[in-house]
Amino acid sequence: MTLALKRETRRLFAASLAAIWLVASLSVTTAAPPADAEKIKFFTSQVKPIIESSCLKCHGGEKIKGGLLLTDRESLLKGGDTGPAISLDQPAKSLLLKAIGYGDPDLQMPPKQKLSAVQVATLTKWVEDGAPMIPPATARVAEGTAEMPAKRIPPQVNAHTMKFWSFQPVKRPVVPAVKRGDWVKSPIDAFVLAKLESNHLEPAPPATKTVLLRRAYYDLTGLPPTPAEVEAFIKDVSPRAFETVVDRLLASPRYGERWGRHWLDVVRFAETNSFERDGIKPNAWRFRDYVIKSFNEDKPFDQFIKEQIAGDELDHVTADGIIATGYYHLGIWDDEPADREQARMDLLDDMVTTTGQAFLGLTVNCARCHDHKLDPIPQKDYYRLLSFFRGIRPYSNGDSALTEIMPADRLKAMQDETKVVGRRKAELKRRIEDLEKPAIAALPKGKTSLPESRQNRQEILGPLILKSLGDDAFHDYGALIGELDQLETRKFSAAMALSAKEAGATPEPTFVLMRGNAHVPGDQVEPAFLSVLNPPNAVIPKPKPGAMSSGRRRVLAEWLSGDKNPLVARVMVNRIWQHHFGRGIVRSPNDFGSLGDRPTHPELLDWLAGEFVAQGWKLKTMHRMMMLSNAYQMSSIANPAALAKDPRNDLFWRFDMRRLEAEEVRDSILAVDGRLNLEMGGPAIFPAIPQAVLAGQSRPGEGWGQSSPEQQSRRSIYIHQKRSLVVPLLASLDAADNDATCPARFTTTQSTQALGMLNGDFTNGEAAVFAARLRKEAGDKPEDQIRLALRLALCREPTGEDIERGVKFVGGLKKDLQVAPDVALKQFCLLVLNLNEFVYLD
Amino acid sequence: MSTASHQFCRRTRREFLWQMGGGFMGLGLTAMLGEDGFLAAQTRAADGVTPYANPLAPGKPMFAPKAKSVIFLYMYGGPSQVDTFDYKPKLYELDGQTIPVKTKGRAGEKNEGRVVGPKWKFKQYGQCGKRVSDLFPHLATCVDDIAFIHSMTADSPLHGSAMLQMNTGKILSGSPCLGSWINYGLGSVNENLPGFVVMLDPKGGPISGAKNWSSGYMPATYQGTLLRSNGAPILDLQPPVGVSHGMQRRMLDGLGEYNTAHQATRADNSNLAARIASYELAYKMQASAPVATDIDSEPESTREMYGLDQPRTQNFGRQCLMARRLVQRGVRFVQIYSGGAHNDDNWDAHGDLEKNHGFHAGNTDKPIAGLLKDLKRTGLLDETLVIWGGEFGRQPTAEYAQGTGRDHNAYGFTMWMAGGGIKGGVSVGETDELGAAAVVDRFHVRNLHATVLRQLGFDPNKLTYFYSGLDQKLVGVEGADPIQKIIA
Repeated sequence: MTLALKRETRRLFAASLAAIWLVASLSVTTAAPPADAEKIKFFTSQVKPIIESSCLKCHGGEKIKGGLLLTDRESLLKGGDTGPAISLDQPAKSLLLKAIGYGDPDLQMPPKQKLSAVQVATLTKWVEDGAPMIPPATARVAEGTAEMPAKRIPPQVNAHTMKFWSFQPVKRPVVPAVKRGDWVKSPIDAFVLAKLESNHLEPAPPATKTVLLRRAYYDLTGLPPTPAEVEAFIKDVSPRAFETVVDRLLASPRYGERWGRHWLDVVRFAETNSFERDGIKPNAWRFRDYVIKSFNEDKPFDQFIKEQIAGDELDHVTADGIIATGYYHLGIWDDEPADREQARMDLLDDMVTTTGQAFLGLTVNCARCHDHKLDPIPQKDYYRLLSFFRGIRPYSNGDSALTEIMPADRLKAMQDETKVVGRRKAELKRRIEDLEKPAIAALPKGKTSLPESRQNRQEILGPLILKSLGDDAFHDYGALIGELDQLETRKFSAAMALSAKEAGATPEPTFVLMRGNAHVPGDQVEPAFLSVLNPPNAVIPKPKPGAMSSGRRRVLAEWLSGDKNPLVARVMVNRIWQHHFGRGIVRSPNDFGSLGDRPTHPELLDWLAGEFVAQGWKLKTMHRMMMLSNAYQMSSIANPAALAKDPRNDLFWRFDMRRLEAEEVRDSILAVDGRLNLEMGGPAIFPAIPQAVLAGQSRPGEGWGQSSPEQQSRRSIYIHQKRSLVVPLLASLDAADNDATCPARFTTTQSTQALGMLNGDFTNGEAAVFAARLRKEAGDKPEDQIRLALRLALCREPTGEDIERGVKFVGGLKKDLQVAPDVALKQFCLLVLNLNEFVYLD
Repeated sequence: MSTASHQFCRRTRREFLWQMGGGFMGLGLTAMLGEDGFLAAQTRAADGVTPYANPLAPGKPMFAPKAKSVIFLYMYGGPSQVDTFDYKPKLYELDGQTIPVKTKGRAGEKNEGRVVGPKWKFKQYGQCGKRVSDLFPHLATCVDDIAFIHSMTADSPLHGSAMLQMNTGKILSGSPCLGSWINYGLGSVNENLPGFVVMLDPKGGPISGAKNWSSGYMPATYQGTLLRSNGAPILDLQPPVGVSHGMQRRMLDGLGEYNTAHQATRADNSNLAARIASYELAYKMQASAPVATDIDSEPESTREMYGLDQPRTQNFGRQCLMARRLVQRGVRFVQIYSGGAHNDDNWDAHGDLEKNHGFHAGNTDKPIAGLLKDLKRTGLLDETLVIWGGEFGRQPTAEYAQGTGRDHNAYGFTMWMAGGGIKGGVSVGETDELGAAAVVDRFHVRNLHATVLRQLGFDPNKLTYFYSGLDQKLVGVEGADPIQKIIA
């Protein structure tokens, strides 16, 4: 029983508990042994009051903690999660007596306080007598019970529940006919327009070219277009002008940096473990680079799934495939858990939770402790899914999650070189010693201890060598030390990847864990897919002799990426739509279950999902399709009638404005001031974090490096993702909390953001850089500087009024407050970086 | 499941509306509360269209609250119960003897150990006659206002997970803190100040750093703000050197002109108005936060009460006095860390117990007593719940063969509460005669959290936030009852 009591057990929403209790009570009379009147009297007068006052609140039926009901003898004999509460053969060994005896710190009942010695003696005697009970019709639940849990039955897997919309196979819907055929550029438009027409709404007019360009740049690259790019687009009057831009942006490496970030949110990417030490996950950055590269290469999404789930088990194992399986180890990890067994299951739970929500859009995690309350996902299905991952060696600081990814020939070359260098180092040390020996002998008396550091020794011994052995020896000595120092700084580390590693072909068995308690195994289960999806059997091929993994994950990967899976394609096209249109067709991108939102355009979703699979799971194809629709190119300006009728824009009668995400804000600031460094990939960078924020760490600055100014100005996706320390500007602008999968960013508006943007070191520093750029590129005239600033930041030609306002602002500072011109311009730059128009997209 | 799915939808159909017009002052952050009330209207992820609602707008508690604010005096590292408030006379006799006792700490599980007798004497204080050790001569004079809980238990005897549990209810990283839950539930009555404030020990932050004031899966609006007791209290509160308040005012006016023009054709987007308002609020905060933390304006006699005249107690005294000024101005949750960094820089007395506890108690005794007395004198104690304690307690036995150091103990420890509708002069729960484990009226961290929420006017089992398919609660899916015996 142990931890069923200690750890958080999920509250039981048992079905019609009262009814169960009645049924149980009726059957009891037959099960009970003939009890003599004396014993029954003892029960009624002595035992029953104790049970009523001390046990029934949790084991009386309204709650059945630990699965144990104490209202009747049959239930006692049946027991709870940890077995029968009483043993008739060996009464003294009964769990019930053990619990009330308080001998085991992990099993103590009642939890609040030990019973009195008299009470313990009473119950002991009663158990020794065979625990006679009268039919418990008279037993009643103790007073003070918490509110009744809702009486609802977890949905079962049956013909009815299988009909839920998202469990249905993806159908290719007929593209609807519409009245305004001229508006339909793609089938997407037909689906959107059909709904608008049936609601008597008009689609918004097209966005202006400048608005559309800025929208497209941010959507695909997370960066603003330059003034030259704006100008070129305005001038291009060909009907394919926008298409050309979209294709160019899709081919830009910036695309992978923007869309990779969305995926990193979903798979809870971080580079540290959280908890006390928040230690680093070695080589996690390779996973980030792998994601960016995969998006840039337009890797088919089914392949992308296969690599992350089972890259090490595919026919062709590549370095990318190994790196991709780092997926499993990106989550939090307590290196010092209070309960190791439970912590092991927490790691597996993290994998089930993430896989369930990221790929299937289902909260399978809710079925860890009991059947899912609202979706037809039995607890067994949770553990069947978990069993695919059972063979993965748990994450640790050792090499349990690290795999060599160097090609064999390079590895061999490195090993050879290591040997050569090792021999050379030994030789150098010997020769240095030979030179030092006579010098040491010549040391003044009493000076026998020399410093450890070679450089310090050199300072002392060098002059002596010169004196006793001459010039050549002195120079040799210096050269030998120089070479040794250099060789010692050379590191021969093979390229390693954070990755899934299994210990062999046969994982440990997986059991259903009662109430999620790692110490209370129930039935053994084998890998199987979610039963509500009516899936094929998960047939695991017999592993080849000597196989280092079970091959289970490959079977899972193939099911997830198969074209029969109703959820995976829907979930992914919904994410693509979400990041173009501001919200998914299903507004809850990680939850396509009954608690999630229903799709506002189910046919459109299915059409897109079908198209996605038919076109080879290519994201870039989908981006093009969506962006070239009229639906995407609508203006965001409201029309009062539509606003009144559909304020939430459920029908997509206009394009929704959105605030830039945290990384977009930071990257845009660097882009407009001209300092953005577009270097890609590699180990993470460390932008400066104010001392006041580092002070929150138990060792200020620990785990945070210092990058050069050039490195600090790289894109935000390359910033070190430390769970307990986030760059303040990004944190306040709602960067993803990466302890768990993040389906959509929040957009909060709060005064601490304003403080950071107005007063923070970063924005002020960049404003100064921005001002310098303006002086350099626009000359000395304030109106020219202001014009350029606004063109760069807002990606449009500023109006006369825009310029006038800026001139007034700068002039006012100079004239009224005697602010130096450079400072006034810097203040204007800061103003620009704080504009609503800068951080919002139309 | 009609209820839950209904709620899920409802929070996206918030009925909060921004009051427009009347310039910035009229805008403020005075959101109108919809019929549904605040709880039904959780802030959710960006969907681009949901109207902005100030997530910190004053919320409606479920019952009449007893407390409006909380000050959590966090004794980081885990103070020893038997050397502070949990009097165990037998331990003195057993000093030095090796006896059987079950313990679990960082050194693992043990079945016996060498008793370290309490290093301080206990005396009785107040009308209630509570015994308090000589570590706290000042605080001892406040016992008639304090409810001691001697039977606390936690799930982990290891700092990392135990601290997360004390602060977030869960031993795993990723959940919102107590202060986040309170601000989520109640909002702020003073929008010029953050609603959840954390002050650190000068030695450094606690382990796991910002996870101890994180809003986890809730929006960043609910995360704790670090407040410094010297210099500018909040990060980026003041403009950089060389930028005068006059320049800052011009900045806001200039921004306002551009933003107003930008908004003209986008009037339906309340997020834009909210962002404009947030700048004005930030500007007001620049003025009001320093006032809130300006303890120099306090009379000398008050400063003395908090021990500001003594170097030893000056820092914690400043923080306690700042805490009073903050709750006075409507800040909901203030947490002050006694102890920081590692080892003996906090209450984690593995080596020399006397030196460690003598140091930390000596730094905090007078300031805490001053805080309680000052709160009482000003009437604020009635509506301010003060909590004292660490992530766990310590064992009655020694950790090593030599010395007085004690290992961690989550089987039983003491915390106390005062004010905010909590009974004074009472002690509930008991540990065994060694002080090793709670045996009478055992309470879990969840019960403590439930009590805090209850005093603020919430049913702890009904304050929920939908996340990852579940109506999450501070007290977990299992739920927990408040500690009724200490509620007045």
